[in-house]
Amino acid sequence: MPEGLTLLGHGIAHFLTWEGLFNLAWASLLGIVIGALPGLTATMGVALLVTLTYKMPPDQAILCLMALYVGAIYGGSRSAILLAIPGTPASAATTLDGYPLARAGKAGMAMGIATTSSALGTLVGIFFLALIAPWLAEFALRFGSYEFFWLALFGVLISGRLTAIEDPLKGYIAGILGLLAAMIGMEGLHAFQRFTFGVSALGGGINLIPAMVGAFGFAEILAVMKRRFTAELVTSDDRVLPRLADITRYWRTTIRSGIVGTIAGIIPGVGEDIGAWASYAAARRASKEADQFGKGSIEGLVAAETGNSAVIPGAMIPTLTLALPGSAAAAVLIAAMFIHGIRPGPLLMTENPAFLYQIVGILLLTTIAITVFGLSLTKLLVRVLLVPREKLMPVVYVLCVVGSFAITQRMFDVYVMIAFGLIGFVLREMRYPMAPLVLGIVLGDLLDVNLRRGLLLSDGDVTPFFTRPISAVLFAIIAVTILMSLPMVSRRVTDLFKRLDPQRRAG
Amino acid sequence: MTDPSADPQTERHMNRVDLITGGVFAVLGLAIAYLSWTMPRLEMRGIHPATVPGLVPGLLGLALAFCGAVLGLKAYREGRGAGGWSDLLALFRTEEAGRFCAVAGLALVYALVLVGLLPFWLASTAFVFAFIVVFEAWLSPQPRPLLRSALWAAVQGVIVGVAVTLVFQYGFLVRLP
Repeated sequence: MPEGLTLLGHGIAHFLTWEGLFNLAWASLLGIVIGALPGLTATMGVALLVTLTYKMPPDQAILCLMALYVGAIYGGSRSAILLAIPGTPASAATTLDGYPLARAGKAGMAMGIATTSSALGTLVGIFFLALIAPWLAEFALRFGSYEFFWLALFGVLISGRLTAIEDPLKGYIAGILGLLAAMIGMEGLHAFQRFTFGVSALGGGINLIPAMVGAFGFAEILAVMKRRFTAELVTSDDRVLPRLADITRYWRTTIRSGIVGTIAGIIPGVGEDIGAWASYAAARRASKEADQFGKGSIEGLVAAETGNSAVIPGAMIPTLTLALPGSAAAAVLIAAMFIHGIRPGPLLMTENPAFLYQIVGILLLTTIAITVFGLSLTKLLVRVLLVPREKLMPVVYVLCVVGSFAITQRMFDVYVMIAFGLIGFVLREMRYPMAPLVLGIVLGDLLDVNLRRGLLLSDGDVTPFFTRPISAVLFAIIAVTILMSLPMVSRRVTDLFKRLDPQRRAG
Repeated sequence: MTDPSADPQTERHMNRVDLITGGVFAVLGLAIAYLSWTMPRLEMRGIHPATVPGLVPGLLGLALAFCGAVLGLKAYREGRGAGGWSDLLALFRTEEAGRFCAVAGLALVYALVLVGLLPFWLASTAFVFAFIVVFEAWLSPQPRPLLRSALWAAVQGVIVGVAVTLVFQYGFLVRLP
């Protein structure tokens, strides 16, 4: 414990330099602006910033990316409150109570509460990150090929199950498509080139950053510009700085939402939007003012904003310790870490223990930065919301093109970006979630190599995949996840629980 | 979160979309499984037969084919009544489809034709200019006067084109296309 605290102190102090503070300031402010602008998401921002920071020292580059990520998730609340349009999908639940509050002349109060709730949500998440991550990394040292195979499969499946809007099947298909995209190029066991069809540029496989810039940048531009835009800005001049009583009044909701958000973050590929909706639903169930939810409830706003912000540190737990992205933006962070020579995974605490605490330090400093910016730059951020998308989107697209090109300086990556943008747009229009697709691309190699390495170790015998204790548990979870997504099975299980629960039976 | 299932017309055309995509994924999955089956098994190199390169893609291809078939069958059984196909075709004649074609067309011409043909700053200037003018003067619910829009679009286009080029070429030392 004392060693952990010392490392944490070093992690914070590491960035208390002029360079660190300058990078923290511009990246978190840029994040807030990106988040506030409807159509620009946190994942898109992080993916584009990777291309702008790849020449920086690794620690400073990760600082910029993390600060932008946290800033963007918070920034989305601005447009949710003032325009009734979530700046990022993470703020969709914020709209429900934020906008009615703004219409009631309490826009300032709503912005203030959103800011402090975001900060507190991040703090709750940070607490669990510092607590769980070192333990999980140590536990993960027991994982072998069998366990990593199941873990990769579990990540893609659970993400597909929880992010699909209506049908888990579409989530699974998106995940399989991502895994198949990862099969393109040279495989990791025998250096054989698969599905390259004579195209030499495909030999290295699909580069994650251009694919993400396409799926979250170009696809978003297409989706935003397709729609006609009719939004009305509602603002007021009431006090932005919240009173202490306003913050402490809902402390139970804050802690509960922080925990729910952190759990959503830990589950692979389940991002901030699900975290916000889950904590909003939990808060409404437990609230004495449940009837006010959706009509301008401060508690609802607290739950949504605490929930989405707590996802970020939560998502860093599997990202850092298992290299299993907790959210779509965390998938980009993994790619960025590899670019900068940092290897997330169970060995991180052995090879580079300071890094985990540097991440905790970055999150703490960014929390302070977004609180200061959020409470002080109200007028500037309102002005940002008025930038017309006709003027903004072509600039973003130019950055998508040049950003995809910049890392390896070849046009092939621009073509990858365009292909993933078009495919991503079409899939999204057909209600396929993007997170499992991204997770599939990230985890494809892990799944492929570990399945075949496991079979090699067991001389072709599949039983160790089911008999080793951790493998058996992971397999059981996967089996239950798949079975529960079958309507026939989930209906029967629900009926069974209803029969076992006398209260429900009476109701 | 908006409930997308509220509109019966949307549900009808989504049903047809699922029917088509289910079939496409089933065929694609089987094709991938076939390609994986016929993939070299590297016997000459003496690798373990359980580690052939086609193993995982083959399994994934079968999984995709299965999920596609289930999706298609579910859509076929749910049906959702007549009019689904005409609803689906009508989707391509909406104003939204026109706006999508305009964005996609401009984006593809810029990235696939102009970049490489013209100096990067000029290609970017032309793209930003065209994008703003098209969406402000023609495809806007309240169109702005063409001349005024074109003037400001040209100014923004030049600023973006030159600034991005300078930042990447001299700041990040990227040899732009």
